[in-house]
Amino acid sequence: MNYRKYLLTLLLAPLLLVGSVGVSQSSSDAGAPLDPSVSGDVEFWHFWGSPVRRTAVRRVVALCEAELPNVNVTEVFKPWGDIWTANIAAVAAGSGMPDVIVADRNQLPREAAEGIYENLSGMSGVDGVDSDGFWEFTWNQSMHDGDPYGIPFETDVRVLFYNKTLFEAAGLDPENPPATWEELEAAADAIDQVEANGNLERIGFSPLIGNGPPNIWALNNGHNWLNDDGEPVVNDPAVVETGEWIKSWVDRYGGYANLQRFTQSFGAPPNDHFMSGAVAMKVDTAGYASVLNFYRPRMQLDGNAVEIDWGVAPIPAESADETTSDSGGFTLSIPAGADNQAAAWEFIKCATNPSAQTSWARDTFAIPNGPASANAPELMADPNWAFYIDAIEAVPGDNSTFVPAYPAWQNEINNRWESVWSGDMSVEEALQQAQQAIDSEIANQ
Amino acid sequence: MDGKIATTPVELSAKPAKRRTARHFRQEAITGWLFVLPWIIGFTAFTLGPMLFSLYTSFTDYNIIRAPSWIGLENYREIFFTDQFFWISLRNTFWMVLVKTPIVLALSLGLAVLLNMDLPGSRLFRTIIYLPTVLSGVAAIFLWEWMLEPNGLVNSGLELIGIRGPAWLSDATWTKPAFVIMGLWYIGVNVIIYLASLRGIDKSLYEAAEIDGANGWTKNRYITIPLLTPTTFFLVITGIIGTFQIFTSAYIITTDPSIQTLGGSEHSLLFYVLYLYKCSFGQNACSGRLEMGYGSALAWILFVIIMLITVIQLGLAKRWVHYESDR
Repeated sequence: MNYRKYLLTLLLAPLLLVGSVGVSQSSSDAGAPLDPSVSGDVEFWHFWGSPVRRTAVRRVVALCEAELPNVNVTEVFKPWGDIWTANIAAVAAGSGMPDVIVADRNQLPREAAEGIYENLSGMSGVDGVDSDGFWEFTWNQSMHDGDPYGIPFETDVRVLFYNKTLFEAAGLDPENPPATWEELEAAADAIDQVEANGNLERIGFSPLIGNGPPNIWALNNGHNWLNDDGEPVVNDPAVVETGEWIKSWVDRYGGYANLQRFTQSFGAPPNDHFMSGAVAMKVDTAGYASVLNFYRPRMQLDGNAVEIDWGVAPIPAESADETTSDSGGFTLSIPAGADNQAAAWEFIKCATNPSAQTSWARDTFAIPNGPASANAPELMADPNWAFYIDAIEAVPGDNSTFVPAYPAWQNEINNRWESVWSGDMSVEEALQQAQQAIDSEIANQ
Repeated sequence: MDGKIATTPVELSAKPAKRRTARHFRQEAITGWLFVLPWIIGFTAFTLGPMLFSLYTSFTDYNIIRAPSWIGLENYREIFFTDQFFWISLRNTFWMVLVKTPIVLALSLGLAVLLNMDLPGSRLFRTIIYLPTVLSGVAAIFLWEWMLEPNGLVNSGLELIGIRGPAWLSDATWTKPAFVIMGLWYIGVNVIIYLASLRGIDKSLYEAAEIDGANGWTKNRYITIPLLTPTTFFLVITGIIGTFQIFTSAYIITTDPSIQTLGGSEHSLLFYVLYLYKCSFGQNACSGRLEMGYGSALAWILFVIIMLITVIQLGLAKRWVHYESDR
């Protein structure tokens, strides 16, 4: 930057400041004000290596580099899992960490407590970045001790995907997807094709396939995982009933081993269960729609290859009025001790503002971090988009299940479900054991 | 050097010569130390130092970012008395050591003997057998993951002979056998080491035995196998240590967001080092926090176990390992 530009910036700075005060009034629509005079190199770590997502990352970076002419962003792909281990090692060593990293909101409060990320309250306070303009739950999930440790970047929402082509072939109404557990079973009855030897040819639905873990079914049975004191409630009639219901699906398909053999026979898209037409309904995140649009899968039906016509619906609940969904997602955070925090913060503000969020969502079908971008006309152009937004608006604002005394408490159930599915343990037994283990771990803290 | 000393003129008295030799030895010692110095520095800085540090952290609550706080034997108490996964991972690891080591050794020896016969094409097979060792481990593991799928190459092969293969990587009964099969892919190094030892056996021993009327099997039983025992001993020790540290394959195969059970189906692939890693780096094991102190305690227990087993092996070695030079 030459001298004249500096002078110009200096002269313009007070104007910008005045301007930004004015802008912050409507920050929910335009996002937090950026400071184009900030300069520096920003190393940005993410784990989005697929063709669709890598391009989407690069578009966001390009957008922000245009808005922040003196900030140079280098996006670095690190595999899922390793990205955080590498960052922890770098933070511990005091060097080599990126300036901005994608953090998992499920882990963020714990990681913040451990000192892995910078407290952003100083910077967000100055720029007037607060819960305004974000989905309530995304903001709440990014907090630790009342301070933000990341700004929500993307979120997801789980919905039921169903194969309209198979519905029609089975004599079901393709425009009338199941809304309750009972209707789900009835639809599966019509679709299931099981060979005489128990071999699964095609199944209607399995709660164990897709991206809808058992806890989402408990939510759809009216269960709250944390009580008023913020302690996990596992051994509860609603969870028992949910566990038994899932077990009934396992039994329907010839037991756990048989179902596992079927599950393992499929790979990643476009060879997964749904795109092969082997499973007619499954719970997944809205982002799965972008993969379906990308591959336009065909399946074998009566000896012909036909393109799958698919639809989305709310996750069926035990009773129809209870349907709810769950959502996690990611933030952009600054690792503790990062070099260029001022430039990093400008990039974070930019990447989480509505225009970058709209770009990201258009590419990936991930849900943006707030209503301003979620309702953008270019996103609403997709026929199912309004439905996803309805679903995300139904996610409770306090859906965090983080328990500081025992962050991994859900493992106590997750590690026992398998014994339940395979019939080695009853649901009550598993939940009782899990509750005991959780309570004693929390008591020991 | 000896030659030089021998040619020293006779008129020189013994005393200065002795002094010169002493100085010479000292110089040689210094040179020697200088040569090993890089290794000593590296070993101290990157192996011994971290080891001692981990011994210290094993008595602390340490999350790698904040300073460790001393908790005495608490980590060890928890490991031995309340941690079921410690025992599960230990059992899984011992299973692999006990089953995999003998199979790998027997197969390596068999292949080496075959390659040593100089049959047509043995050079080609030698290359083929060694090749997997050169390939990237992670890529090969992905390859095996595909081959071991319920409808993968392995089961398609079994189907040809009328066997309905299991779901290798998701049926807890078959996951560890699948890992043994995967491990066999890497026996190239063992085979080459055996082959080198086989080539080193003096042919005259076989000739003498033939004159005494020994047949193929007796020659193997009384010449080849005894003379290979130092090699076998080396491979047993390194094989056992390597199997105790099994990690990469288990990490890749069980670190899938869709696998919710720690260490895969019924924890059957929760090996010791995998568990240690997951606890240390807060990867949804132990409390879910960064339990570096706890992980260090686990590591030291493994160190002691391996040390004990190696010492026992060294003790037993006198009974079955035959060194040619000892005679």
